[in-house]
Formats: sequence, structure tokens, C-alpha cells
Amino acid sequence: MLQSYISEIGRSAKSYCEHTARTQPTLSDIVVTLVEMGFNVETLPAYAKRSQRMVITAPPVTNQPVTPKALTAGQNKPHPSHIPGHFPEFPDPHTYIKTPTYREPVSDYQVLREKAASQRRDVERALTRFMAKTGETQSLFKDDVSTFPLIAARPFTVPYLTALLPSELEMQQMEETDSSEQDDQTDTENLPLHMSTDDSGPEKENASVLQQNTSLSGSRNGEENVIDNPYLRPVKKPKIRRKK
Amino acid sequence: MNRKKGDKGFESPRPTTHQVVCINNINFQRKSVVGYVELTIFPTVANLNRIKLNSKQCRIYRVRVNDLEAAFIYNDPTLEVCHHESKQRNLNYFSNAYAAAVSAVDPDAGNGELCIKVPSELWKHVDELKVLKVHINFSLDQPKGGLHFVVPNMEGSMAERGAHVFSCGYQNSTRFWFPCVDSYSELCTWKLEYTVDAAMVAVSNGDLVETVYTHDMRKKTFHYMLTIPTAASNISLAIGPFEILVDPYMHEVTHFCLPQLLPLLKHTTSYLHEVFEFYEEILTCRYPYSCFKTVFIDEAYVEVAAYASMSIFSTNLLHSAMIIDETPLTRRCLAQALAQQFFGCFISRMSWSDEWVLKGISGYIYGLWMKKTFGVNEYRHWIKQELDQIVAYELKTGGVLLHPIFGGGKEKDNPASHLHFSIKHPHTLSWEYYTMFQCKAHLVMRLIENRISMEFMLQVFNKLLSLASTASSQKFQSHMWSQMLVSTSGFLKSISNVSGKDIQPLIKQWVDQSGVVKFYGSFAFNRKRNVLELEIKQDYTSPGTQKYVGPLKVTVQELDGSFNHTLQIEENSLKHDIPCHSKSRSLEMFADSPLLWIRIDPDMSVLRKVEFEQSDFMWQYQLRYERDVVAQEEAILALEKFPTPASRLALTDILEQEQCFYRVRMLACFCLAKIANSMVSTWTGPPAMKSLFTRMFCCKTCPNIVKTNNFMNFQSYFLQKTMPVAMALLRDVHNLCPKEVLMFILDLIKYNDNRKNKFSDNYYRAELIDALANSVTPAVSVNNEVRTLDNLNPDVRLILEEITRFLNMEKLLPSYRHTITVSCLKAIRVLQKNGHVPSDPALFKSYAEYGHFIDVRIAALEAVVDYTKVDRSYEELQWLLTMVQNDPVPYIRHKILDMLTKNPPFTKNMESPLCNEALVDQLWKLMNSGTSHDWRLRCGAVDLYFTLFGLSRPSCLPLPELGLVLNLKEKKAVLNPTIIPESVANNQEPVNSTNNHGQSVGFQNTFSNSQEEEEIDMDTVHDSQAFIYHHLNMLERPSTPGTSKFIGKEQSSGEMNMHPVSAAPLSVFSKESNSSKHSDHHHHHHHEHKKKKKKHKHKHKHKHKHDNKEKEKDPFAFSNSPASARSIRSPSLSD
Repeated sequence: MLQSYISEIGRSAKSYCEHTARTQPTLSDIVVTLVEMGFNVETLPAYAKRSQRMVITAPPVTNQPVTPKALTAGQNKPHPSHIPGHFPEFPDPHTYIKTPTYREPVSDYQVLREKAASQRRDVERALTRFMAKTGETQSLFKDDVSTFPLIAARPFTVPYLTALLPSELEMQQMEETDSSEQDDQTDTENLPLHMSTDDSGPEKENASVLQQNTSLSGSRNGEENVIDNPYLRPVKKPKIRRKK
Repeated sequence: MNRKKGDKGFESPRPTTHQVVCINNINFQRKSVVGYVELTIFPTVANLNRIKLNSKQCRIYRVRVNDLEAAFIYNDPTLEVCHHESKQRNLNYFSNAYAAAVSAVDPDAGNGELCIKVPSELWKHVDELKVLKVHINFSLDQPKGGLHFVVPNMEGSMAERGAHVFSCGYQNSTRFWFPCVDSYSELCTWKLEYTVDAAMVAVSNGDLVETVYTHDMRKKTFHYMLTIPTAASNISLAIGPFEILVDPYMHEVTHFCLPQLLPLLKHTTSYLHEVFEFYEEILTCRYPYSCFKTVFIDEAYVEVAAYASMSIFSTNLLHSAMIIDETPLTRRCLAQALAQQFFGCFISRMSWSDEWVLKGISGYIYGLWMKKTFGVNEYRHWIKQELDQIVAYELKTGGVLLHPIFGGGKEKDNPASHLHFSIKHPHTLSWEYYTMFQCKAHLVMRLIENRISMEFMLQVFNKLLSLASTASSQKFQSHMWSQMLVSTSGFLKSISNVSGKDIQPLIKQWVDQSGVVKFYGSFAFNRKRNVLELEIKQDYTSPGTQKYVGPLKVTVQELDGSFNHTLQIEENSLKHDIPCHSKSRSLEMFADSPLLWIRIDPDMSVLRKVEFEQSDFMWQYQLRYERDVVAQEEAILALEKFPTPASRLALTDILEQEQCFYRVRMLACFCLAKIANSMVSTWTGPPAMKSLFTRMFCCKTCPNIVKTNNFMNFQSYFLQKTMPVAMALLRDVHNLCPKEVLMFILDLIKYNDNRKNKFSDNYYRAELIDALANSVTPAVSVNNEVRTLDNLNPDVRLILEEITRFLNMEKLLPSYRHTITVSCLKAIRVLQKNGHVPSDPALFKSYAEYGHFIDVRIAALEAVVDYTKVDRSYEELQWLLTMVQNDPVPYIRHKILDMLTKNPPFTKNMESPLCNEALVDQLWKLMNSGTSHDWRLRCGAVDLYFTLFGLSRPSCLPLPELGLVLNLKEKKAVLNPTIIPESVANNQEPVNSTNNHGQSVGFQNTFSNSQEEEEIDMDTVHDSQAFIYHHLNMLERPSTPGTSKFIGKEQSSGEMNMHPVSAAPLSVFSKESNSSKHSDHHHHHHHEHKKKKKKHKHKHKHKHKHDNKEKEKDPFAFSNSPASARSIRSPSLSD
């Protein structure tokens, strides 16, 4: 009951204060509240001054705990001028000062090579084992399929492509090792002339692609006009008189 | 060079002047072709009422001559060589029949498969020698040869799938895809039209005049004109969704490749213009055609095929700039193809026997190009290699004849009786023989050059070319076109005109007769006279050899210098005294003689093999100080026999010498390994080559780690690749590869780092795997122990670990041409063979399937072939033969037969459970009719048949019913000549002569004689003996007349004893008896025969000695069998 009473006082007081467009209730708000709740405000001072009231003593002042010397390291930094003096002192320097440390780089060539080699080997082994585990395998031993798992041979639809074209990794390496060299442009224009549909529209495109080709290879050699290769000439339209 | 009777006994009655080929529809889905041809023919003789043309596998719908319908007959005797199911299964018989069949359609003799009857309305027209136009409509459905379709099985339009088709074949193969006069000697001009899908490109001979869309705009027609008279056999075609690259240096040259490969094409062909320049310069003649096209296609028949104004290459020759090893090989192919443009395509041959001139000249100018491009060392090395090859081949087979002359059909004049095929036609020739033929041809050209000088040689070529090019621009009527054909006599005449020298002896020696020379040389130094006594012997009696008479150059290196001497090799002079110039006394160390080394025929101006004896220090001098790479290589090979510290030092020094030719250094590696193995007990220091390799390729600070790869210096690259391979051949006292070496190689693999390298290391890594394989030695206890993981040798475990990882990584990051997979497969087979891993072909079979890269397939197939041999597996042999029949790639089909021939599961003198009647029938069928679509394949089948069964009737077959023939005239019973064992036939033992054993022994007696020879396996003998015995028994019964029977009997039994192995059938009782397959075979009673015996056989299968009783029983066992009962009634005897 006491609790609901007190909270009601608080709630009403807040309402009054908000009613007067403030956020912090003042004494008068509370007074009004009490009055509203039918409490005789005049009796309050007398109640406060009653003789048998309980006095709660202030807590005893304890000494600031002294940080053991062993734990302090270095002098605490004094406040810079823009920080008011009442702010707490800086903590011990070791809590915030960072001293970046570098491990001595392993410059030993042998160790490096060793590491690179074993790392690569581990990666390769892990990768191939994973591939072998997740896919079909073949085995050299009938009784054991897991010690030397071989990823099953799978035929390609176009076997020469994988066999002849350098892998992406190799292409990358090639660029790295010889960036000055012009990378072979696999220009889309030179990809096979795509199958055209029925109307004559695409045919023109085709022809233009051919011409583009001409100019492309021509410009590469800087002699656009000279190249006259029958395979680069545009395809002719059928003669009208020809039947079928 | 007018066409003379002598050059060609036959003048074509139907010379074609112009031919139109029009292919209006190509269906990739159905693999079919529809089109027509139109030949313009000028009759040269009156009453030409039949026109014969070549055509194979084409379906001919309609033939019109001058718009009149004409009747025609299509008959191809080569489809099935022996028509009536021949029971003889005799290769001699087959070869003759095959040669006859090929002759019957030989266009050079006016024959052909297609015979067109000229309509009678036109006979008058013909008699006036007026032009005939023959129009033939044809189609081609799923061609098995001649045209090859490659249609990848995937989604998308044909162009997206990269489907393509191209013409291919060996020699005259144009008849496979359109009717023509398929000869190299009949020239005409061409108009070629191909209507293809709009996304495709058709590449063919001559100039592309125009490309026109069809009416519906879905397709386009490529119109080609070839105005230079060209033989039909030089016509070709390639259609596909090709990427087009105009050569940046020569705009009239166009390159084509399959989609996505353009960057590779650019790099690969970037060199071609230099080859062009080279040839044009040395021949002082422009390239004869107005344009040149190179097409790179998949599933190629051969790596390089040259046709008029275009060449078809295997797409696998393409490579990127990162690949070292393939580059020189591809360039060689390009150069070869181009050389054949001049000689082979532009200039064609008069007849087959003039082929050597063309092959010789193109091979020779290709050699000149090699010399210029790769240097003299490489050239000489190549010449030596080719020489060794031809010598080895001729000694093995009995000779290669460049210019066969065939007398009037007499079989005895057959110049190649030592061969199992006829050399009368290119189509009957074994592929290996043809390869060697080309090799010999260019070597002989080089000999001619030696004789008349290169300058004259080139003048001759220039003359041939300029005559031809004048002729090519003439009209047909001027009869000049024959100038474009080269003949042996014309060529020789040109040589004598230009050089004024007589080269007839040379031609007679090397061209008109086969065989090589075999010299044995040794010497002694006579100090008193200061003379070198040289002895040179010849072996001219062995097959494949011939006697050499004439000059022979000998180079003697003395202390004071090198001196050349030309000796005259004559009939009976063996010894030659050569005065020495240097005085021996001057130096103490050369106390014996002032001779450092001696070389016989240093310039390789004789096709010979020299075995020369000189002491080890002389070979060492020769290796160190002779500058000629051939001499160095010879010295290295000779030093193998002298495992001494001095040899070791000489070889090591060579290895280290950077100026030394890299191939010599590579060879030295292997020799060093051999020497080290011979010296194993006294060898000091680390394993051979290890410290050298460390010094050259490993880090200075940490000698166990190899430097990161840098292959800029190709010489050291090749050495770096080779050394580990050679090192792995080292063996310790226990005949094992030293642990140190194995660990060293494993470290090389481990520390291999290619990140900074400009080049790919795939070949290097592949060779490291080869090195691992080389280090493998047989497992300790192979005895019936099941190979499992648990008893795996720890070293092998390490090796296997690497192989597994490499092979698996290939799936994720495939290497160029899958070199690593290839090496891994080979290594696995080595492990299997040495008993470390269970022998199992399953893995290889999966890699051999269609759809893998061709190199991988071949490596896998090689392993299966080897397995078939080692494990005598019938199942695998069948699997291989099925593939020979069904595989889509012609090269694979050919290669399987080739590999089986080179590594046969058994040979004719060997006993094998694989050798059975079913196999004979199968192979017979394969060569008789199964391979009629591919000349090369058929000859391959013949080669295999020969290797397995020899020339005569295979010994595993039961004797034919007509095993004994009663010669009624002479009243004798003799063995059927067709079944005489080969050894007898070879000994020329007259079969039907009187009893040359002189003694009249009863059959039983003879029989027991044979029992004393324990080698004779009764299983194998009784089959035939019992059979004969039975027949003889029949003969001995009262009904048979006269004494002749005894002769016959003794004869046969005597022979049995003499040649027990060859006469005896190799018994096979495979579980699946194939007799059902051959139920139509009229020998079926023999099968029953066998079946019956099977039980019997098992009884004493494991007994090595047969007790007499059992043997005596054997023959009688058959008299009870229904089979023998039947043979009593056989017509031959009842007659």
C-alpha cells in the first residue's frame, strides 16, 4: 500500500510538472499532489521534527585504497590543460600505452622455403583429400580406399580445352612475371560468329562483325587498308534470280 | 619430263580436266553429307564406253553423263578381302588377296570401285574424243573414314559445341568422301562449294572466291577455286566454327582454330612466316599457291596433313608462350607441312614408286630448315637419330625399298618377299614401314647432296618447281601438266643435267635395293712402320643388310691433328694401312700410339651401322675433344662398356661443360648412371650427379633446397629435367635405389616453386614423377603374397603419396597436355609391375575412355596393353580389340593396334592361353572386313596378326579338314601345303618329296621318340597329332590304296618331331569358349573335339612330365569322339 501510495505521488507529481511544460518536478508539484490526494501538508514539518525519529548516520569515511607500489608502473600523466582538475587522474601508463613489438622477421631463406613448401603441400593435400572425400574415388588397393584416394577420372566433353589452355593461375603468374608483355586479348569480337536467326537483321550485324574484325586486326598492325583476306570479306546476299 | 611409257606404263583413258565438288548439306547431328560432283573428262581413246572412278562408302544416287542417265556398278573388293570365308587364316594368302584387291581399284591402272557405263547415245560423241561431263549425286552417312566428324556431346548449337568435320586419311583417301579419280598422278582444276551453317566456316583448297548466303539466310556457301592442277588425293576440307586469324606478316595466310583457342593460335603461328621465307629463299621460288591456310582440329588423324594450299594440324600442337617443350616440336610440324606444300602437293608424283622423291625432297629441305633454325648440332643429332632408326628397322624387318620396280606380275620378283605385306601399293603398307620409308628417303637425298653439293641440289629443286609452275598456268590441252608430276627417272635426269655427275651407283645402292650396311671395325698400330692397320669387316648376310663397295671416309685424330683418309672398300680387302703423321716417341703419356681416336664414316655418308673397337681412353678423348656431337654421342654410348674412374671423370666434365650441346649432356647423364651402377662397389663420394645437380640448381646457402624455377636458359632447363630421371636409375649393392637419391628427388618435388617463373613447369614436374618411377625396384617377396597397404614398402609409400597428390591436383589444376597425369599413370603401372601395388587395369581403363585428353588415353592404353601381356588377360585383350573397332578417334584405334604389335601379349613362337581360335577369327575378321574404311588401321591389324601368328596358319588352329590331301595324280597323301608350319616352309623343305628321314618308323614309335623331349607339352601336341594320326589310321585301313600313305604319315609325324612347337596348336581353354560365335564355321566338330578334351586336359594340367601311358591313351581317346567319327566321313577321304 505504501508502495502504491508513493508511486501515485510520483506519478501525479510528474503529471503536474509535465502539465506545466517542465520535465523535472519541483517541490510545488509535490505539494499540489499531496493536497490533491487529501494529505494535509501542514502536518509534514511537525512530523519531521518529531522527537522519536530515527537518525541514520552517515557512512564512515574510508581511506582511499593505496595501490600497491608493485602494481604502479611509471608516473601517472598529469592532466593536460584542457581537462579540468577534478577529473580523475590518468590510469597507470601501462594500461593504455602501447609499445608495438615486431617479431624479428624470419629472414632465413631455408626456413622460408621449407615453410612455403610444407604449407603448399598441406593445402594441396587437404584440398585433394576433401575433393576425394566429397566425390567419387578410385583406389589402388582393393582393401583400402582411404589411404591413397584418387579422385575418379571423369571424361570431358571437350578434352582439349583444359589440356591446352593455361589455367587461370598460370595466366595470373604470367601477368605477374611479365607484366610488360601485352596480355593476349581474347576479344569477344573474334569469338565465332554466332548463329544468326531467320530475318536479315542479324545478318547485317554479322557482316559488321566481320568488318570489325578486319579493322580490329588491321589496326593492330597499323595498316588497316592493306589486309584483304577473303575470310574477312562480308558474306554476300543471295542473288535474286537464283532459286532456292 | 614428258610422260614416257617407262615412267608409267599406263595412260589414263579418262583424264579429268576439271572437277566440281559441291557439298550442299552437312548434318552434324546425323553425321551425314549430301552433294554432287561433276567431272569434265576428255576421252583420249575412242570406244571408251566405261568410265571407272574411285568411290568408297558413298551412296550414289544418280549418275548422268552429259545430262543423260547412265547405268553404273559399284564394286569395292577391298570391303572384304577374302570373300569366301577362308579357313586358312593364312597371312600370306591374305596379303596377296589384299594387294590384288587394291590393284583392282587402283586408279593408276585405270581402275576404280565405281564403273559408269557411258550411255550408248554418246558413243559417237566419245569416238570423236569430245568432252564428257559426268555428274554424280552422292551422299555419305556416318562415314567411318575419310571424313571425321567431331561432335562434342553437350548442350547448344553445333557451333557453340565446337562441332567440326575434316577430311583425313592415309595416302589416297579422298575417295572416301566424294567420287573422283583418287590418284596423285591425275591432275585437274577444281571448283569446290560447301554450304554450311552460317556460324561455321568451310576451309578448303584454293582461293575463296566468295561467300554467299543461301536464300533463307541460315546458311552460307563457300566457293573455292583451285586453278592450279591438283590431284584429287590432295583435296581436303575442314568445316567448323573456327576462329579466324589472318597472319600479321603475310596476309594471304590464314589460320583457323577451334573456339577459345585464339590466343594460343596467335602464339603458335607467329613463327610461320620465317619458315616461309626460308623455303622461298633456298628454293628461289615463290610459294606456288596464292594463299595458305592452316587449320587446327581435334581428334586429328595425324599431327600434320598437307594438302594443296592448306594443312590440317592437330589442335594439340597449339601452345602458349609458357610452354617450352612443345614449341620446337610444333615448329617442326609447321615446317614439315610447309615443305610438303612444295613437294607433295604442288608437285605430285607420277606413280607410287616415285613417292620416295617427294618424301625425300620435302624431308631434305625440312632438314635444311632444321639446320638453320636449331643449329648444326641439332641437325646432326637428328640425322644420326634418323639413321639409327632406319638401320634398326631394316635390320629387324629385312629392308626398306625406296623405289620398287615391279616386273610383269611375277610373284617371285616381289622385291619385298621378306615382308608380310605387299609394297606394291601405299595402302598395303605397314604404317611403321611407311614412316621408315620417309626417313630413308630424306637420308638418301642427303647422300645425293653429299655427292653433288647442296648448290646443285637446290638448283634441281628449283628447276622442278619452275617447270611445274610454268606448266600449271597452261591449259590442259597443252599436255604440259605432267610436268607437275615428278618421277624417279625425271628427277635423276635433272640431277645429271644440272650437276653433270653420275649418281647412278648411289641410286642403285640405296634406292633400287633395300638394306643397310653393317661395318665392324678394329685397328692395330704398327709402331715400327708408324702405320695404322685398320680392319673393316662387313656383315652382308644378315637380313636387311647389303654389301657396300666404294669409298669410305675414315678420320684419324692424331697428336698432330686430324687427318681424313678415304678408303676404297672393295670385295675382299679387309685391311687398310693408313700412314700416321705424328711421331709416337715425342710424348711419354701416349706411349702406345700417337692415335687419339678414329672414326669411320664421320659424315654419315653411308646408311650404316658401325661397331668400332677402340680402347676406353680413346673414347674418352673422343668425348672430350671431338667437336662433332655425333662423335660425342657415339663415345658416350661406347663408354657404357668401360666403367672406370676415367670414364666417370670424362662424363662428369662433359656434364659440367656449358658449351657442350645439351643433348650430349643429357645422354651423358644416363651413361653416368649406368657406369655408376657397374662401379657400385668401388664408387666413392655421393651418388653420381648429386653434387653436380646441387651445384647447378640448388641454393648456395642450403644445398638441399632447389632454387626457385627459372627456365630462361633452355639448356640448363633440359639438363635440370633429365638429371633426376637418370639419377633415379642408380642402384646400390642390393640393387635398390639409394635412399639418398630417393629423398633427394622427393625434396626436389617438395621444394619445387614455380611462382617466379615465366614458363610452365609441367614437363619438369612430369619428369620428376618419371624419376620416382625409375627409382622403383621389384618388391622383395612377390610370391603369391597379396599386395595390401600393410605390407607396403615405406619408400613406396612416400612415392605413392606424391603420385596420389599430383594426380589429384591435376583434376583441380590441370597441366598443359596433362603431362603430369600421363607420368602418374606410367608410374602407377611401374608400381604394379614391380609388385608393390596390386596389378589392376581398372584405373587405366577409366582413363582410357573417350573424353580424356589423347595423351592421357594413350598412356592409359599403354598400361592396359602391358597388363594384358603380363597378366595374360583375355578380358583386357577383348576390351582393347573392342576399342579398336568402336572408338570414335581414328588415331586411338590405330595406336592400340600399334601398341599391341610393339608389346604383344604373345608372339608366334610362344605359348599363351590367349592364343585361341576365337582370337584368330576375330583378328582375321578385323583385317578382312572390319577395317576397310581406314587403310592405316587395316595395315595395323595385319601387323598385329603377323606378330601374333606369323605368316602361316596360326598354330592354335586345329588342322583344317583338308589336312591331308590326296594327290591322285602322284598317288600321294601329303599335308595340305597351306598348313605347313612356317619354320618348315622357310627351310624350303620340300614337303612332298620322298621321305628324307630314310627310316620307316611307325607312328607310335615316332611318338615315343618325341616323348623323350620333355619340352613338348602333350596338351599342345595331341590336338593335331591325334588328328593326323586318326586320318592316317583311316588311310591304313584296307580301303586306301598304295604305299603313298606311309610316306604321308611318316612325313607328317617326322615334322611333328622336328618342329613340335610351331606345329603344335597352342592350347587355350579359356572359360568362355567362343565356339558359339563361330557356329557357322564348318570346323565346328573340332570345337567339340576340344570341349571333350577339356576335362581330360585338366587332369594333367600341372604335370610337367607326362607318363607314357597317358600319352598313349591320348590319341586313342579321339577315336571315340564323335568329331573323329565325322572326319572319317569327310569328303577328302571318302573320295
